[in-house]
Amino acid sequence: MAASDLCYLSMAEAATGLRQKKFSPVELTEACLSRIQTFDGRLHCFITCTAELAIRQAKQAEKALFSDNDFGPLHGIPIALKDLYATQGIRTTCHSAVLHDWVPDFNATAVGKLSGAGTVLLGKLGMHEFAFGGPSVDAPFPAVRNPWNTAHITGGSSSGSGAALAAGFCYGALGSDTGGSIRNPAAHCGIVGIKPTYGRVSRYGVVPLSWSLDHTGPMARSVEDCAIMLQVLAGYDSNDPASANVAVPDFRSALRDRIKGLRVGVPRANWFNENKGTDPRTEGVFNAALRTLKELGAEIIDIDGQSFSLARKANQTILIAEAYAYHEKNLQHSPEKFGSSVRRRLLEGAFLSAADYIAAQRARTALNEQIRENFSRLDAFATPTIARPPDAFDGMDPNEQNLRPNFTNPFNLTGLPALSVPCGFTPDNLPVGLQIVAPPFAEATCFRLAFAYEQATIWHKHRPPLD
Amino acid sequence: MAHEITLDELRMIAGRAGLHVSEDELQRLLPGVNRSHKQVLELRDLMTDTLEPAGLFSVASEEE
Repeated sequence: MAASDLCYLSMAEAATGLRQKKFSPVELTEACLSRIQTFDGRLHCFITCTAELAIRQAKQAEKALFSDNDFGPLHGIPIALKDLYATQGIRTTCHSAVLHDWVPDFNATAVGKLSGAGTVLLGKLGMHEFAFGGPSVDAPFPAVRNPWNTAHITGGSSSGSGAALAAGFCYGALGSDTGGSIRNPAAHCGIVGIKPTYGRVSRYGVVPLSWSLDHTGPMARSVEDCAIMLQVLAGYDSNDPASANVAVPDFRSALRDRIKGLRVGVPRANWFNENKGTDPRTEGVFNAALRTLKELGAEIIDIDGQSFSLARKANQTILIAEAYAYHEKNLQHSPEKFGSSVRRRLLEGAFLSAADYIAAQRARTALNEQIRENFSRLDAFATPTIARPPDAFDGMDPNEQNLRPNFTNPFNLTGLPALSVPCGFTPDNLPVGLQIVAPPFAEATCFRLAFAYEQATIWHKHRPPLD
Repeated sequence: MAHEITLDELRMIAGRAGLHVSEDELQRLLPGVNRSHKQVLELRDLMTDTLEPAGLFSVASEEE
């Protein structure tokens, strides 16, 4: 098998190949490291590449696996982490000069779970500074570039996670999502990402952006791979005050259930046309995806999107207030350490009053009820993941995002599980994502719809033109 | 209806918050701050007397 083919196996395929001894964890790891060495100079996915550690872990996994000490489907699989997950003994920067030299003495819970499952850590990935700034020129590490076209952004804030997967550098990655930061780069990079229900995966050891909106979750190249990762990551953690003590179902076994009869709501009216509206290239691809879901037996039902549109405003208000509160001391004493983009966005939080923040939290109560009420007659929602294709770096308008509908952040406000799966390309070969949203703790419904769609289409098989 | 925040007000609030923000940066902040305030005003249209904030403290959940 060619090295690039090895790097583009799904996690499930790699796990099978390992057990059939077609290749070893060391060979998988070396193939990934070689590819990172060859291509990451163009993409800037990695802030810290832990090559020596990875080889050491791969040798341990090889020894265990080949002596029938099998830790499960992630054993021996190379992965990488967004650089806001605390990693014991490994620098964790948040892509910021503020934490440039921070070496945690503990692991985030999610990192510990992946390590316990026998994964091989390739390194820490670039992101938008503190998961909030856009791609900026004055951060201490270069902005991550999109493997589909390096002149374009990846979406963020889990930019390195999305790009590294699309580039075949790793088989799975962790992202975090406060307003769309797993789903946006998943859509822009042509991979899969799920923001699970709030509380499903521990946030312990993940540098906060906004406590009440932050979610953590997996990103991978296939729906099944995300289900495999979520199986390991999900579960109660007493270290996270928001952790939910609810049962974790078998996500993988639900993948192949048929979707015939599932009712999928599309909140198009009063949302998709907000301000400048949805880009017609994106909306065309999205409409084709809905036709495929319909052919697969799902019932597509138009619903009103007014409360979804308002949810963005509550989400943004809560986010900037909480983010400012977290960073206040550093903004007072060492503002120069922040990049200009993230500093300006964080500072906006200083000018909101306590009454403003509480108004947004009261609106959250109302909007949450309005949005969830739809589930009395629906099984899921579907939207484009992002309202437009990825911008080019040159001439990028930082305010553009506010001039389009935001399809991701209402589901941070409501805490609902939401997944992005590739659903096609624009005429200039940039990926588009389909977002599927389900009721609380019904990630299995997201997986089921997305898997049926993925298996009926070819988009996940496309590779960016790097080689 | 609240009025738009002015540059003078922004400068005063920044000082009270212990922030050292340059004039140039204050000017660049102003549109975003006013956009945020406009958003909150739109959210206030949703308010009813019985609507409580999300995420209230619960003694019961502490005892579980």
